[in-house]
Amino acid sequence: MTTAPPPVLRMTDVTCTFGSVSAVKSVSLEIKQGEVVGLVGENGAGKSTIIKLLAGILAPNEGRIEINGVPCNFRGPKDAFKAGVGVVHQEQSLFTNLTVAENIDQHRSADDILSRLGLQRWARVNRDAVAALEKVGVKLDPKTHVRDLSFVDRQMVEIARAVCIDPTAGGTPLVVLDEPTAILEREETAVLEREIRNLRKFASVIFVSHRLDEVLRICDRVVVMRSGHFILDKPSKDVTKEELFAAMAGRVSEATLRSHTRSPKNAVPAIEVRNLTRSGHYRDVSLAARPGQLVALVGSNGSGCGSLMRAMFGAETYDGGEIEVLGQRVSGWSIARAVNAGLAYVPAERKVEGMIGGFSAERNIALVHPGEVAVGLYHSPSRRLRMAQSWFDRLDVHPTDVSRSLSHFSGGNQQKVVLAKWLNSKDLKVFLLDHPLRGLDVGAAQTVDAQIRQACDRGAAVVLLPDTIEEALEMADEIIVMRDGEVTARHDLGVDAGLSVQDILEKMV
Amino acid sequence: MNDTVGPPVSGMITTGLGTQVSAVERLRRLANWQALGPFLVFAATVLTVSLVNPAFLGGTGIAIVTGAAAPILLVALGQAMVLHIGSIDLSNASISLLGAILMALALPAFGVGGLIAVLIAVTVFGALNGAIVAYGQVPSFALTLGMLGIYDAAALVTSGSETIYVTKNRELVTALYHDRLAGVPLTFWIGVVIAIVYWALLRFTGVGQGMTAIGKNESGAIFAAVRTGWLKVLAFAISGFTAGLAGISIIAQAGSASASGLGSDLLLPGIAAALIGGTAISGGLTNPLNVVFGALTVAFVPIAVQAIGISAQAQSLVYGFFIIVVVVLTTNRTRDAIIK
Repeated sequence: MTTAPPPVLRMTDVTCTFGSVSAVKSVSLEIKQGEVVGLVGENGAGKSTIIKLLAGILAPNEGRIEINGVPCNFRGPKDAFKAGVGVVHQEQSLFTNLTVAENIDQHRSADDILSRLGLQRWARVNRDAVAALEKVGVKLDPKTHVRDLSFVDRQMVEIARAVCIDPTAGGTPLVVLDEPTAILEREETAVLEREIRNLRKFASVIFVSHRLDEVLRICDRVVVMRSGHFILDKPSKDVTKEELFAAMAGRVSEATLRSHTRSPKNAVPAIEVRNLTRSGHYRDVSLAARPGQLVALVGSNGSGCGSLMRAMFGAETYDGGEIEVLGQRVSGWSIARAVNAGLAYVPAERKVEGMIGGFSAERNIALVHPGEVAVGLYHSPSRRLRMAQSWFDRLDVHPTDVSRSLSHFSGGNQQKVVLAKWLNSKDLKVFLLDHPLRGLDVGAAQTVDAQIRQACDRGAAVVLLPDTIEEALEMADEIIVMRDGEVTARHDLGVDAGLSVQDILEKMV
Repeated sequence: MNDTVGPPVSGMITTGLGTQVSAVERLRRLANWQALGPFLVFAATVLTVSLVNPAFLGGTGIAIVTGAAAPILLVALGQAMVLHIGSIDLSNASISLLGAILMALALPAFGVGGLIAVLIAVTVFGALNGAIVAYGQVPSFALTLGMLGIYDAAALVTSGSETIYVTKNRELVTALYHDRLAGVPLTFWIGVVIAIVYWALLRFTGVGQGMTAIGKNESGAIFAAVRTGWLKVLAFAISGFTAGLAGISIIAQAGSASASGLGSDLLLPGIAAALIGGTAISGGLTNPLNVVFGALTVAFVPIAVQAIGISAQAQSLVYGFFIIVVVVLTTNRTRDAIIK
């Protein structure tokens, strides 16, 4: 008798609500053994809720979830893990001060008297870790501390932890990867892609990502979410990137190439650094950005780009060289002086540095440049409300309640507010952007992108650390490539029209 | 299942119920437990006592409670402003006592001018704390703990361990305690006015907004060019200044000042009043108006305990329990559901 095995995951009419808002509305989904399913959707579409339901963090209000044919009633992440669901969360959740083996051991349930008493048998912990790592196809010393690993290795440890499922559970494990590539550099992404294909042999995978070409490359099937519904479910080979985009956003892609401005070479640079050096970070870097010009700094982790940008904003010190703003050499450079001089900075660490999460969106917008909100010392609440609402309209921020605490907005909408905070300046001269599109959905990325271009057109000099080389090629007038703290190449896009990703990649590694 | 296109739903969540929801929401936020908690706690305490012992609140009961609450309120308001930026000022009660002694010494010779000079001095003491915290990067807990010892010693030395009686110009300050408005001593009204000023400062000015930003996320504030150093100095200076006003209320009530007399144990009641007033010890959440009720509650509980007839030995036990329960009730620990 050969009955077909039950699907690894079957969701039937699952609904999940928060108060009066339904995040997920009566969705159904089946995933077969060994299938890799891409889940895409804009921020706030309900992807995170689906992941939390599978991880046992949330419970559905209605409907049922079955894993390998067994109905689930998770009371916590531990139950989900026992049932065979391993989730790799967006923010890396490893304990960096522990070893690889200790991290992988986190989920294993105590199965004998010694472990119940909280004692560890290190030989076994290490042996199990090696086995789990082999399963996902990587070789790492289980005794290495996680803080000493590269990002991609850490990601693999997370995956190993997710797949080393209690053997008693039986059935096929379901691995959920929530934007595993968001923080990886290009080469690392390629490694990860290969490993995900390996997982297919013994697991089913849900792959969440904002990079649509990546999803189409890796996945067998793509599911698109919008406003809590699954609105498209097709094999990857039958669907195009444009189709996915239209389904996600409910509109057609507007991506266009920016026409390169041939900035006059004699214009005074809005910002210029000369022979800037910080030991251990970067050496002898010189660059200039003229008004209306967009300069992209490209380099992998550890190239010094991020540190250099922070020095330009006065957020980090430097050992040698000089910074000039509009031809004036600066001294005693600090964030306060930089902002006074017309600089703005969107940091990569949005939640920590880019915003005050506990503040309402309107207060975040009025924080740096209150503009007409301030009448002397007094800040007028009604003017602040009006100003914030006009920004919300212009940048299409959802939900539309400006008095809501900013931490309760989705990532893309938070980033729009962060942008509004700086664009509210009447006199923006230099706009420094550190991975402004990181983790944003396509719709939000387009809005942010358009605002950056507009700022440029209005005469601000923009220095950008892009997420991808494509982004740099699409947006920049000049690309400066850095490796190990030194400039390895400069390309004027107005001249080098035929520049390719490969050309730049060669100089990065 | 292929290509099932759902209803056109974008924006439905918010626009469906529209302004109705936001109006209700606004009302809910206004009337939430955190905002009204401190007032309700005080009202409940008063109600309980007047039920058990109706005679107690008659006559001068209100004057006694509010008079006792005045120095606690003033110290607590300064503390709340420092807690608001995520620091703590353990020295402010000592500053108020030192201030009281200095004022008692200065009043006979210089009158009101002496009071003002001392107020300026204590504001500078506070600002010094702030400057060391902000620019010397010393944790406020450690620094102000040390300063507490220094100011206590200074109080002992300047008073020669004796009670300093205000020999001349005494009525200048004692009137503040004995003159009443609506049955409440002026010293308490000073506290109320200061609370309103601080509330407006936090709510309606860029300075207050910057302080809140520091308390909620200091890194974020730094990257938004908030002048964190100067705002920290200001918060501590405010604490020093308000402690000076507390010093005035002490000599107003006692007509004298001493290192071990009235007002020598204001530190912990001050912190308790700030906490009962809903101030978060982690920063970024201070409502000075609620601190008024926090101070009233702290001043009232010992009196209430007595009125209900609990033995003197057990008083601090009840007091301790009460503070824990109230802080548990009024602390904001909502983790609003993630709405996505």
